[in-house]
Amino acid sequence: MFLQQLLNGLSLGGVYALMAIGFGLIYNVLKFSNFSHGGVMLIGCYTAYFAFKIFHSSLFLTLLFGAISGGLCAVIFEKLAIVPLRKRNAPKIYFFVNSINGGLLSEYLIVATVGVFFHTFPDFLGTTNINIGQISFSKLNLTMLIISLITLFGLMWYLYKTKSGRAIRAVACDINTASLMGVDVNQVISLTFFVSGLLGGLCGVFLGINYTIYPQLGKLIVKGWMASVIGGLGSLLGPVVGGILLGVLETFLTAYISSSFTPILEFIILLMFLLIRPQGIAGVIVEEKV
Amino acid sequence: MNKLKMIVILMAMFFLLFSYSWGASEGEILVGNIQDMSAGTAIWGQNDTNGILLAVEEINARGGILGKKIRLITYDTKGDPTEAINAYNRLVDLDKVVAVLGPPTSNVGIPLASIAERKKVPVIGDFMDERATTHSGGVWNFMFLTEPCCSEQAEIAASYAIKELKLSKFAVIYNKANSYSVKMAIPFMSYVIKHGGEVLITETYLFGDTEFRAQCTKIKNANPEAVFVPGYVKDNALIAKQLRGIGVDVPIIGNNSWYVPLIELAGAAANNTYFPNNMAIDIPRFQDFMKLYEKRFDMEPLIHACMGYDNMNILADAIKKAGKLDPIAIKDAIEQTDYLGVMGKIKFNPQTHRPDRMPLVMLKIENEEYVTIGEYLAPLD
Repeated sequence: MFLQQLLNGLSLGGVYALMAIGFGLIYNVLKFSNFSHGGVMLIGCYTAYFAFKIFHSSLFLTLLFGAISGGLCAVIFEKLAIVPLRKRNAPKIYFFVNSINGGLLSEYLIVATVGVFFHTFPDFLGTTNINIGQISFSKLNLTMLIISLITLFGLMWYLYKTKSGRAIRAVACDINTASLMGVDVNQVISLTFFVSGLLGGLCGVFLGINYTIYPQLGKLIVKGWMASVIGGLGSLLGPVVGGILLGVLETFLTAYISSSFTPILEFIILLMFLLIRPQGIAGVIVEEKV
Repeated sequence: MNKLKMIVILMAMFFLLFSYSWGASEGEILVGNIQDMSAGTAIWGQNDTNGILLAVEEINARGGILGKKIRLITYDTKGDPTEAINAYNRLVDLDKVVAVLGPPTSNVGIPLASIAERKKVPVIGDFMDERATTHSGGVWNFMFLTEPCCSEQAEIAASYAIKELKLSKFAVIYNKANSYSVKMAIPFMSYVIKHGGEVLITETYLFGDTEFRAQCTKIKNANPEAVFVPGYVKDNALIAKQLRGIGVDVPIIGNNSWYVPLIELAGAAANNTYFPNNMAIDIPRFQDFMKLYEKRFDMEPLIHACMGYDNMNILADAIKKAGKLDPIAIKDAIEQTDYLGVMGKIKFNPQTHRPDRMPLVMLKIENEEYVTIGEYLAPLD
């Protein structure tokens, strides 16, 4: 039972990690909690669903559709809601409020255009389970965990080994210095939104496969935010650690205490992190650079 | 200059707002409708409203009631009890409706009960939790439920599982924040225990939860003969998927939220499920309704559309019987209801304002299809 629960927690954590890293990426660069990421996940998920309906695409292609539409959606959001604010050097709170607007807007947009009916992706890989002794695991969850890991490693490679990835890290480190060193900051920020959107769209499809497709799906971003806080906002690897920890923590709290206490304990842990160790597990201290 | 423009525009807006006349014009009967039209249970609210609209259109086409046409005023509650109370107050105080049609959600029905008692405008709806229609001291005079209440449904499911399926060891997983779900789980468990069965494990979750694998793993470990899952449709589908996903293949016993669109959501994981429902596709009166509904709205109705349709027709009959547009007289007339609707015969027990022993259909899900087993009454033991 313990092993089964650990496995449940890890696979949930994988999804949270994916959500948190896309969320954290924007925090790294612009230093605000980007709740429009929930909207990006939502739009990515719905686009992938319609792409699937029209083209009967495979799991891989559906994920690709979701990721790309998420990326585009994030860039559109950046152009419409973030660029004007950056141009007039608006306070960070405006960015934050605008991002919440973006998340809500996408939810109501889906309600008004697509409707409130629930949808589902098909069983891409069948409903067969993999059984090892007492432990049972659905093929789909395992595949998703593997894809999450590949994506995370891919992202790390991109951020540390490519030129544009390095530019993102440079801007994250210090936006002004990077700009003085000749980095096109505006372009890098758009790029960051695109990469974050790719992850968001991908994550949205995962959520849709796991939890059905419905207009309130974007609200799950709160988990991504919690994972980022626990892992450390402002660090690149922190959200991954935070996401996996949160997934395991949630599963064990529900399994060994009670589901009704899980949110309470979660928020207490979150509060403790914010009070005692605001830099999160990763320990990178981020100061607002205004 | 700009300011002046602004003031003029604002004044014009106010003028427009207040020129809208609240209250009925001559030759109209106003009926209120409070439903979740845009949030988590909107799929039901929209179906319920469509059913009501269908009935209103039919009634008006026949010339209305007492020579007046019915006008429906719908407010969106977003599934939030506070918004529902505001909507009810607004319907009663400003719009001056003669009666209100309520949503198929108990969390909204319960707080409405005491307010309706004060404001004396009747509410007909499908809030199955008994507390929406009765309190410890008796009946809520202005609340009416038009389907079997939670305990009847839970007992039909439990007695079917024990007597027909010969099961005795159960696990239960329900939504602790949803009064409908709680009020199904408790009578189910007491019925099981009273009839020599066992409840091996009780697990709970909350609104908005999507991850149930921790609970499902514990259920698997308890090794029950069946799992009772009385939640809302999306939760039921996710629980089915996650139970099957970790290898729990025993029968699932459900509630009346296991019908359409559940199979679409859960796929093969829904198989081997038994549940009571208000409706089944092979019942002729439902087929007639489906034809009507599909012609009007170009989609298949959910059971909530039947509820809305029946509720509106019950109200129309009551207004006719009352002979005047007085909410209290209408309430008295609703009490006398004896109506054969899409969902069956509805006749309120004056002590509870709920239909007594209305039959439900037991269904099973097999090869990703709903199979009708037959009609069942709440057990007397």
